Amino acid sequence: MRPWFTERYGNPSSLHLDGDEATAALESSREKVARFIGAGSEEIIFTSGATESNNLAVIGYVTGNRRKGDHVVIAESEHISIHNIAKHIEKQGFKVSRVGVDQYGRVSVDKLRRKITDATILVSIGWASSEIGTIQPIREIAEALRGKGIALHSDAVAALGLAPIDVGAVPVDLLTLSSNDIYGPKGLGALYIRKNVHIAPIMPGGGQERGLRSGGEAIPAIVGMAAAAEIMTSEMPAEVARLAQYRDRLIEGVLDRIPRTYLNGHPRERLPNNAHFRFDAVEGESLLLSLKDKGIAASTGSACSSKTLEPSHTLIACGLLHEEAHGSLEFTFGRWSKPEDTDRVLEALPGIVARLRALSPLYDKEVAP
Amino acid sequence: MKSTTYSEKTLDHFRNPRNVGTLEGPDVAVGKVGNPVCGDLMYMYIRVKDDRIADIRFQTFGCGSAVATSSMTTELVKGMTLNEAMKVTRGDVADALDGLPPIKMHCSNLAADALHDAIKAWREGRAGEKPAPPKTSDIPATCGPETGPSDIEGADTLLGKGVHDGLADPSAFADKRVLVVDRGKPSVDAALELTKHTGRVIFLSPTVEPSSKDDPRTPLKRSDVKVIYEARPIAVLGEGEVEKVRVHDLREDEEYELFIDAVLILA
Repeated sequence: MRPWFTERYGNPSSLHLDGDEATAALESSREKVARFIGAGSEEIIFTSGATESNNLAVIGYVTGNRRKGDHVVIAESEHISIHNIAKHIEKQGFKVSRVGVDQYGRVSVDKLRRKITDATILVSIGWASSEIGTIQPIREIAEALRGKGIALHSDAVAALGLAPIDVGAVPVDLLTLSSNDIYGPKGLGALYIRKNVHIAPIMPGGGQERGLRSGGEAIPAIVGMAAAAEIMTSEMPAEVARLAQYRDRLIEGVLDRIPRTYLNGHPRERLPNNAHFRFDAVEGESLLLSLKDKGIAASTGSACSSKTLEPSHTLIACGLLHEEAHGSLEFTFGRWSKPEDTDRVLEALPGIVARLRALSPLYDKEVAP
Repeated sequence: MKSTTYSEKTLDHFRNPRNVGTLEGPDVAVGKVGNPVCGDLMYMYIRVKDDRIADIRFQTFGCGSAVATSSMTTELVKGMTLNEAMKVTRGDVADALDGLPPIKMHCSNLAADALHDAIKAWREGRAGEKPAPPKTSDIPATCGPETGPSDIEGADTLLGKGVHDGLADPSAFADKRVLVVDRGKPSVDAALELTKHTGRVIFLSPTVEPSSKDDPRTPLKRSDVKVIYEARPIAVLGEGEVEKVRVHDLREDEEYELFIDAVLILA
């Protein structure tokens, strides 16, 4: 992507030679990104990231199809980006239903079916949860919606490169992609829009990207995302197997070594890079701090480490009490993870949890050591 | 400032907290602040001799700042007269730690309040008492016979759609998140039975946590049932099927919603 910052600085909208070169790079990148998810290149729109793609998908779809109906269904477990977009369109007069998830964070197709009305035009369900790792039954959901004239959008960023995504096999209509979730340059995303699915642009301007996303294309980032997608495709099978091995060893080890510890998210339908736990009577930020001291980076759904001081809505949607959400801890593996990383966590974590439990008035020493 | 950007001193008190534990005896008073629902719960134990804090211990469930402020408070006030200790503020504790991130100043800086609560308990002659949750006086000691689902809003409408009044077929609850409303021993037995069929059974009881071995709820302690004491169901919510219950936390007088799949309210 480097030459596209300087020597090859052309604008794809220009007719001169540099512009032609940039157009060629843009279109070949579009094709690579399309291939990554089994789409046609005319079905890919580049955006500034997953947030914009989600906005364009949901707001663009509902405003472009208002005559068909005004009802949208999302899942309670959706990423905060989708929840906030849902609130936004509610203010514009659309109606939004939120379908619950089970204790593992999975949407039930039957429950989803019962949320659908004659006015439903769009369903938006993430492919997988970046937080608890649960993979949604997107294929079953797509099948349940087939022939009903309801579009299906899926924010797939959490699953990119970790679960097979083929829009030829799973008939979603709109799919959100992001570059930084596949180790590409940050600040770029894409939206897959199935052929013949109509959406309205949400940002008026010069009419780039088939009039759906105005603004000069970020050519260096687009070239970078396409390269990242190609690498991801070739590495995926081996990488998924490798990460799943680390994940399983960590989950087994933590549940085995630390009493009164539970796995959050689905035991099987789970991203290969995600292990998410909760520990009775300890608080997540305290766990993070202690792990940081040992050079281990993790995340928590505890309110104490969030900007809003609210616990993770995804964990609450799974039916956890606030105090249980506070005691949660998420580990993710990635391209640079090594088997020793799991060893280090398994070595450090039991002692950390025991130390914090010894401080905690909530831990009942009679019940467990 | 990120929530984890703590001063070195705060981190030191988090890593090596001083004066952790409990105290007992006729000259010990206990103070309590916080609520695990909010992610913070603190007990402060003081031993008073000649109107001075002769010894002090704490227990804390909470974030890094909650632990560090508890520890720092115990260091600051040990040896002080009760009057001096009453004047120690949250700000003093934060200053002694070389400051706290702004977002933590209010939510996780409750140690001084717990200390003041302990001094108050001492002055009101409540020394020697075990830490008890406040406001228990208005909570019934036992769960009396209630009239059935009808006193919980929405329970009648959703009867058979996730609300159950009996445990005729426990296997129907397989893998579901079940909330069992306290109706005495039969409901305790039902909750224990349900753990054979699903991993998530929540028992909601208006009583305080039992300390007697004879209480019908005591067996829940060693089970996989998640028990919430001092709480009542107000409403069962859902469009055509049970989705959530609204719970009244009697201790904090707060309401919250809990996502579940089924509710068992024995008639």
